[in-house]
Amino acid sequence: MVPFHFIQTWYQIIQEQVKKKGDWFQNTSLEITLTLMATLQSDIISTVEFNHSGELLATGDKGGRVVIFQQEQENKIQSHSRGEYNVYSTFQSHEPEFDYLKSLEIEEKINKIRWLPQKNAAQFLLSTNDKTIKLWKISERDKRPEGYNLKEEDGRYRDPTTVTTLRVPVFRPMDLMVEASPRRIFANAHTYHINSISINSDYETYLSADDLRINLWHLEITDRSFNIVDIKPANMEELTEVITAAEFHPNSCNTFVYSSSKGTIRLCDMRASALCDRHSKLFEEPEDPSNRSFFSEIISSISDVKFSHSGRYMMTRDYLSVKIWDLNMENRPVETYQVHEYLRSKLCSLYENDCIFDKFECCWNGSDSVVMTGSYNNFFRMFDRNTKRDITLEASRENNKPRTVLKPRKVCASGKRKKDEISVDSLDFNKKILHTAWHPKENIIAVATTNNLYIFQDKVN
Amino acid sequence: MEFKLEAHRIVSISLGKIYNSRGQRGGIKLHKNLLVSLVLRSARQVYLSDPCPGLYLAGSPAPPQPGEPAAGGGGPAGCQALGASPLKKPRRHLEEQPAGAAAEEEEEMETGNVANLISIFGSSFSGLLRKSPGGGREEAEGEESGPEAAEPGQICCDKAVLRDMNPWSTAIVAF
Repeated sequence: MVPFHFIQTWYQIIQEQVKKKGDWFQNTSLEITLTLMATLQSDIISTVEFNHSGELLATGDKGGRVVIFQQEQENKIQSHSRGEYNVYSTFQSHEPEFDYLKSLEIEEKINKIRWLPQKNAAQFLLSTNDKTIKLWKISERDKRPEGYNLKEEDGRYRDPTTVTTLRVPVFRPMDLMVEASPRRIFANAHTYHINSISINSDYETYLSADDLRINLWHLEITDRSFNIVDIKPANMEELTEVITAAEFHPNSCNTFVYSSSKGTIRLCDMRASALCDRHSKLFEEPEDPSNRSFFSEIISSISDVKFSHSGRYMMTRDYLSVKIWDLNMENRPVETYQVHEYLRSKLCSLYENDCIFDKFECCWNGSDSVVMTGSYNNFFRMFDRNTKRDITLEASRENNKPRTVLKPRKVCASGKRKKDEISVDSLDFNKKILHTAWHPKENIIAVATTNNLYIFQDKVN
Repeated sequence: MEFKLEAHRIVSISLGKIYNSRGQRGGIKLHKNLLVSLVLRSARQVYLSDPCPGLYLAGSPAPPQPGEPAAGGGGPAGCQALGASPLKKPRRHLEEQPAGAAAEEEEEMETGNVANLISIFGSSFSGLLRKSPGGGREEAEGEESGPEAAEPGQICCDKAVLRDMNPWSTAIVAF
């Protein structure tokens, strides 16, 4: 195991600007400030998640570690610039395990992190690997007791016979220490690999989903969970689809959705029955027969599903596109955005090099007006639902000079390549952005390339 | 003809992926292998429905099998089109098999490349997904109706030409 360490850490605020004709985020001109945080060289980032206030940003990696960044409190004097994100806490969430019964190694890679809303001084998050979910408490300690009678300051016990006077220990300030401790461990409930966790709006229960089953947990109870979806066929030979993602509705605590490898989304109501095998709604778009190929099934498999903050819409990501669904309309999405349609003719090569199995995530901005997802060559894409404009940006360290205009990027699918365009064949498919997150309230985004986390924020004028 | 080549190439690649997934850390990924098996199924149908003579090692042409789902229209356009839907339930195929094929048998393709892969896998198809020959199965769930062992190295036989996709789906059971 490569020990965790920061190769380089720099806290550099670089003002960037994205010049775009017309307005972008609600009539403010978009300026992107690039803040480059810690570079995690030793492991691949596997999940990124802002907490409910946006003050904290958690990342999980392939080595089972969680790193939490905290936004500096806004400087009142410099109110035009938002606080930058600094490392707040680092801990080892999961370790590799071995299942002796099945002779299987269980990866420690963190698949998902979900924050609980803050109820007291401490922060809580759920992190999961393939098999086990853990509830972590992250708390601050900035005082320590001093002046014990029976202990020295370094903790060694004093000989009681040497104690001649008594004193009352007092709390004295100390350097801030952030501690993470596992409060609950939810284990042994999943035979297959966990792909999703989602906290219910009741803030008491949450779901965890693997390839074939979804379980409902109570945050306080670790020794049992309820199975609410089971799509395992009686005969495994008849298996045709698996669950790829699941999420609770943001407002209705009885409603959740799960997506499948066949490109369908099922909405289930837990009030209808204990086992939600029969969906309340089935969202499916008929396949375009002209696009049929060997790989149609693979590219229609949904890799991520996210409800809008309003709860009225949900967004799905498949290999080539992002689709927005109105919960009231099941037969087709209301909006479809092509992320990298130029890859459709390359599916065979992408199958060979396994890129076609990449699972891209997607996210909404705080007002549900813009959606974002990643692509290859360290590109990420944003789609404005109102103006129907889209933009391609690149997360790279080459553009980090102060005041550099961050150019929108363009991929040339075929034909004559214009200046500054990139041809499809020169895209680097090893540089992929699978995980992105958007601050719940502000225009701050976190974008994870393979080994680096980029935090971009726009400047408020 | 080129459709057959393309389909054959995809079958080889897919078999390789299934084979490699055995050694992956964290166990076999059910989702990925399901997708690969679907591609395999599609490629196989294209391969078999292409009217051009196939690439048979033994030289004998494949007899058309009754009950095999007919390819839609004429020759499919290679990677871009498919014959019958690949999502048919495998059970139905089994029932339509000609007599004498009661037990599921290993899927065999009559091409050298694939034959090599098959002989690597060993005599039994489910050996594909065992970590070690005769060792425990990864995530064995439920009964796996294991395919009958064919003779090691047997690569071309008339009766095995149009075996249905069941053996590939059987791979999933080993998960």
